[in-house]
Amino acid sequence: MSAALRVAGLDVRLGELHIIRNLDLEVPFGELHVMMGPNGSGKSTLCHALMGRPGYLVSGVAEVGGVDVLGLEVDRRAAAGLFEVFQYPVEIPGVTLRDLIAEMAEAGGEAIGHRAVEVAARLDTSSFWDRPVNVGLSGGEKKRSEMTQLLALAPRMAILDELDSGLDVDAVREVAEAVQHMRGPDLGVLVITHYTRVLRYLEVDRVHVMLDGRIVQSGDRSLADRLDTEGYDGLRTSLGMSHPEGDSFLTGL
Amino acid sequence: MLPIDQTTHERVTAALSGRAAERARAGWVAFRELEMPSERLEQWRYVHPGIDLGAFGLPDRAGRPHPAVLGGPWSASAVNVDGRTVAAQDGDGVEVAALATQSDQGPTVAIADRFEAMHEAFSSDGVLVTVPRGAAVADPVLIDLQAVTPDSASAPRIRIVAAASSQVAVVVHERSPDGMPALVVPRFEIEVDNGARVHLIVIQQWGDETAAVARHHYVAGRDATVGLAEAGLGGRFSRLHLSVDLIGDGSSADIVGAYFGDHSQTLDYRYFLRHAARGTTSEMFLKGAVAGQSRSVFSGLIRIEREGQKTSAHQTNRNLVLSDGADAHSVPNLEILADDVRCGHGSAVGPLDEEQRYYLMSRGLDRMRADRLQVKGFFEEALVRFPVLRFEPVLRAALMAKYAGVTA
Ligand SMILES: Nc1ncnc2c1ncn2[C@@H]1O[C@H](COP(=O)(O)OP(=O)(O)OP(=O)(O)O)[C@@H](O)[C@H]1O
Ligand SMILES: [Mg+2]
Repeated sequence: MSAALRVAGLDVRLGELHIIRNLDLEVPFGELHVMMGPNGSGKSTLCHALMGRPGYLVSGVAEVGGVDVLGLEVDRRAAAGLFEVFQYPVEIPGVTLRDLIAEMAEAGGEAIGHRAVEVAARLDTSSFWDRPVNVGLSGGEKKRSEMTQLLALAPRMAILDELDSGLDVDAVREVAEAVQHMRGPDLGVLVITHYTRVLRYLEVDRVHVMLDGRIVQSGDRSLADRLDTEGYDGLRTSLGMSHPEGDSFLTGL
Repeated sequence: MLPIDQTTHERVTAALSGRAAERARAGWVAFRELEMPSERLEQWRYVHPGIDLGAFGLPDRAGRPHPAVLGGPWSASAVNVDGRTVAAQDGDGVEVAALATQSDQGPTVAIADRFEAMHEAFSSDGVLVTVPRGAAVADPVLIDLQAVTPDSASAPRIRIVAAASSQVAVVVHERSPDGMPALVVPRFEIEVDNGARVHLIVIQQWGDETAAVARHHYVAGRDATVGLAEAGLGGRFSRLHLSVDLIGDGSSADIVGAYFGDHSQTLDYRYFLRHAARGTTSEMFLKGAVAGQSRSVFSGLIRIEREGQKTSAHQTNRNLVLSDGADAHSVPNLEILADDVRCGHGSAVGPLDEEQRYYLMSRGLDRMRADRLQVKGFFEEALVRFPVLRFEPVLRAALMAKYAGVTA
C-alpha cells in the first residue's frame, strides 16, 4: 500500500542555494511524524517545495497517496490530498475566511463547506470568520484559521509548519488536540516544531531531525527529549558532523 | 447637428442672462484662444485623448432617453440627455430642477484648458440640486446622465448646493451606448455650507466610443464634508479632473475610487485637494486595474496652505496591471506649507501577487479562481468605502464582469 507521503532523493535549490539535499522521508497513512531542526535547516523549504511554490528547482520523488506530485500545479497537489499549514500564512486583503471557504467549496465540492461550518463552531472562529484572511490576525487566530481550512479540505497528508509558533500555552494545547482529533487511518501528519511541549498532546509515531537540508537522524519520541537536553550541537558531535561557523543565515549571505 | 463654432455657441446660450451669460461669453473667448491640450502640459501628461472636435456637433434636440437601470428608492431624480434635462422630480425636501430654468447658474470660473472652456461656451442646461438648511435627505438623489445621439457633443452642468447642516447623497449614472461616438464635457459643482454633508457617487459607464472630459469642483465650509466615490468602468477616454477647496475650519473630503480599464480604454484621474483652513481632513483612496491595452493615470496632489494647521491628509492609490500591454501611472504629490500636519501617501503599481496566488492555490483553487478571488479582494477595500451601501453588489458585479471579460 502507498504511503501518505513518500519522498525519495529530494533536492531543492533556490538560485545558488542548495537547501534540501538528497532527502528521504516516508509517512505512512495513520501515522504522525514530527520534524525538528534548527532555524534555517530547510524545514519550510521542504514544505513549500512539496506544495509547489514557484521559484524552486526540485528533483527527486515526492508522492502523496501514491500520486507523483512534482510537476503538478499547486492546486492539483492540493487535490491529490496535500495540505500545508503555513508557518507564515499569507495575507489576502479584502477576502474573508467566509469568502475563501465558499470558493473552496465551489471548487472542491459542498462537503468542504459543511465541514468548515462544523469545524468553525468547534474552533471558535467567530472573531475572524468575516475578516480578511490572515490580515491583522493574532498568532492564535491565524493557526485556527489554517486549521479550519485544513479540516474543511480533509486532506490525505497534512504538513503543519511550526504548529506551535506564536501560540500561548492554552492555544498550543487547543491546536495540538485538534490535530490529534483529526487523526485517522486515511491521513498522514507531519508536524514541524522547535519545542517538545507540543508533543505532550500528541501520539508521536516517529521523530526526524533535519540539519543542513538532510534528515540526519530518525527515531521514536525519546529522540526529541534527547534533543531537548543536548541541543543540535550535541547531536552534531555524536554524529561526527562538523559544526557550522555561525548562524547558517549569516553564512548563507 | 450644430457644429462646434461661434454661431452654435451664440445660439445655444442665447437664452442665458446675467452671470450665466457672462460665463458663456468668457468661455467662448477662452475656447477660441486656447489650443487643444497635449501631453506636453503637465496636466495632460501620459494621455492622448485623440479627440477631434470637428467630428462632433451639438444635437438640436435631446434624443430619447434609455430607461433607468439603477434600482431605487430615490428621494428625487433628474434625467439629462445629450446635455438637456428632460425630467426633474423634487422630493423629500430636496429640490431638483433643470438648470436652464434656474437663476443660480453658479459663479464664473477660472478656465484651465480648452475642454473647460468648451463646457462654459456650450453648456446651456444641466441639473441643479438644492438642499435646504437642516434637511437630512434619507434616500439618494439620482441623476441619470445620458448621451444617446451619435457624434454628439454635450456639456451638462450639475450643481449641488447644500445649505448649512443639510445632508444628501447624489448618484450620477453616466452612460451611452457602446459603438456610438460621443463627446461629453460635463462640469460638477458642489457647494457645501457649514456643517453640511454631500456625497456624490458617480457610476461611470460611458459606452466604448465615448470620450468624456469631466471637471469637478467642490467647496466645503466650516465643519462640512464633501465626498466623491467614483466607479470608473466605461468610456474610450474618460478624464476626471477634480479640485476640492476645504476653506472652512474642520471641513473634510472623502474621496474613493474603483476603476477598471480594458481593451484600449484610458481612465485619467487628476485629483487636487487644497486644505486652506484649520483642522481639515482628507482621505483619498483609489484602486484600479488595467488590462488589455488600457491605461490609467492617477495624479494626486494634496496642498496644505499656511492656514491649514492641524490638517490630516492621506492618499492611497493602488493599481493592478493585468496584462503586458496595459499600464498604470500613479503620481501622488504633497505640497505642505503648514508645519503642524499629519500626511501620508502610498502608491503602487504591479501585477497580481504571486504569494497570494500560491497560498490560494494551495487551498485547492485553480489559478483562475485564485486570481479572481485576489482581484475581488483588491477592489473590496475600495467598495466598502462607497457611501451608499446598496450599490456595493452592483459595482462589484460590474468590476468582476470586466475581469471575467479579460480572462475569457
Ligand atoms: N526566498 C529565499 N531567499 C533566500 N534564501 C532563502 C529563501 N528561502 C529560504 N532561504 C534560505 O534557505 C534556508 C532554509 O530556510 P527555511 O525557511 O527552509 O528554514 P527553516 O528550517 O524553516 O527555518 P525556521 O526554523 O527558522 O523556520 C535558510 O538559510 C534560508 O535563509
Ligand atoms: Mg520554517
